Amino acid sequence: MGPLAVNDIISPNTNFLLAFIIGIAFGLVLEQSGFSSSRKLAGLFYGYDMVVLKVFFTGGVTAMLGLLFFSLFGWVDLNLVYVNPTFLASAIVGGLIMGAGFIMGGFCPGTSFCGAAIGKLDAMIFIVGLFIGVYIFAFGYPMFETLYKATPMGAQKISTMLDISDGVFALILVVVALGMFYAAEWVEKRFPREEY
Amino acid sequence: MKPLHYLTMVLLILALVIALVPQNTTRPYKLTAEELLAEIRTGTQFISPDEVADKIIRKDPSIQLIDVRNPREFDMFSLPGSINIPLQDLLAEKNVDLLNQGSKMNILYSNGSTEANEAWLLTRQLGYQNNYVLQGGLNYWTETILNPQKTGGVISNDEIAKYNFRHAASKSLGGGDASTAAPAASTAGSTPKPGVVPVKKKKKASGGC
Amino acid sequence: METTDRPKKLKYMNPYIGGVLLGLVLLAANFISGRGLGASGAIKSVVVASTQAVAPKYAERTKYFKEYHEEHSGSPMKNWLVFQMLGVIVGGFASGALAGRLKFKVEHSPKITSRRRLLFALLGGILFGIGSQLGRGCTSGSALSGIAVISFGGIITMMGIFGGAYALAYFFRRNWI
Repeated sequence: MGPLAVNDIISPNTNFLLAFIIGIAFGLVLEQSGFSSSRKLAGLFYGYDMVVLKVFFTGGVTAMLGLLFFSLFGWVDLNLVYVNPTFLASAIVGGLIMGAGFIMGGFCPGTSFCGAAIGKLDAMIFIVGLFIGVYIFAFGYPMFETLYKATPMGAQKISTMLDISDGVFALILVVVALGMFYAAEWVEKRFPREEY
Repeated sequence: MKPLHYLTMVLLILALVIALVPQNTTRPYKLTAEELLAEIRTGTQFISPDEVADKIIRKDPSIQLIDVRNPREFDMFSLPGSINIPLQDLLAEKNVDLLNQGSKMNILYSNGSTEANEAWLLTRQLGYQNNYVLQGGLNYWTETILNPQKTGGVISNDEIAKYNFRHAASKSLGGGDASTAAPAASTAGSTPKPGVVPVKKKKKASGGC
Repeated sequence: METTDRPKKLKYMNPYIGGVLLGLVLLAANFISGRGLGASGAIKSVVVASTQAVAPKYAERTKYFKEYHEEHSGSPMKNWLVFQMLGVIVGGFASGALAGRLKFKVEHSPKITSRRRLLFALLGGILFGIGSQLGRGCTSGSALSGIAVISFGGIITMMGIFGGAYALAYFFRRNWI
């Protein structure tokens, strides 16, 4: 059955309409969770507010378990669900650069749009920065290309690499995530906390 | 109870369940049993040796011959321009692009027509189009194309033409008979030619954040 | 979730409930469109579209734009992520309006000036923009969506983002605490 758009069950235009609706839900959840505040987001890195960790990993494992159950019931064909291709070196360097951007800017792209939507000027400036950054990458592409295409590994799943089933990996990740949540609750008690 | 405790319970139970049940690796079938039965009954997947021979001789670029026998048999004898996809490798990832495509007419063959037909049945259930089966397989091919026999007694013009065509095809495809050559008749096969159905390529959704 | 136990202090949703809802949104995206959520991809689309509009000749012979068109068909603005990001803006605004959080302001630690905050926001944005291209997606597109489909690259990128931020947190602490 699913994914609906890939199996032509819904038309491309319906798919775009649903993208818009999914976006609205995404924006609502982000804002309601407090992701429109850079100081709340940055709390993750100083221990005073671990909301990013909690929302992020709860969301990740929920969707992961959901997809695995959907696949089990035959509702979605996991072979047709997009898996980001892995370019190891590019992913590591890109991740580290984004980490630097996160601690300096206090937002990530999705949350900055959310912050900008409720009038945060720092979020708007952050978005301007995002555009400049992508323009720099586009115009300076020859400079980045070697790194961008270094160590291609294809659309690799961790479960395949570790030679375990998706389900077992999901269980491991759930246990790790829950461990982090309890640690986060403990950490938050040790740091003075303020609601932003 | 705090939300975290609820979450812990629910996630752990779901994760344990999903870790313990076997992974669903079945590929969804695209055709219902009734649809498939209807196709099998009409036998539209079969393509006659005469038609195939005609296409090979004309070097028709729109066909792709696929040998589903094992590699050893393939090495010993195969039809010109064919590739080998042994039946056991039919579902291998690397062959999907060859079998599920919309630009060529795939003609599957084996010694008889059983194995090729089995391969066709599987691809058809997966929803692939443009796969056909060489009627009678290589056995019938050898009989009709490589070593054509004149039918005895009174024969119709149509049958003469057929014989002439087979005889000529036999020559150009390396058959045993080498008597007087007859002009190749292209009247072989009056059945409507199965066309190539364009397949909208089922690409995975593109990402790119 | 609009319960305010103290006046004027606006409460956010419980993070675990928010997380489950986020997961359901991500699941819906995967079920409907076979892909995860994303943000930087929409920016990429706008960059490609604007370059084509302003300097079509340049875009035609520059490799980055050519490769974009090999991977994507149709107009760069007619892109799933562009529609999704428009939705995020609407959704974020709606949520802010409901919770009474709509207000133009620069949020920063009392220890720094607004100017410094904005400068760092700009720098951070630039770095995030470059990084998201190398990482083939940002926190949502690569990391979050990556977890959902157990993608190796996504999880590596996620560790890079959080690792990088933690490693540098000490040097920028004045900006936040």
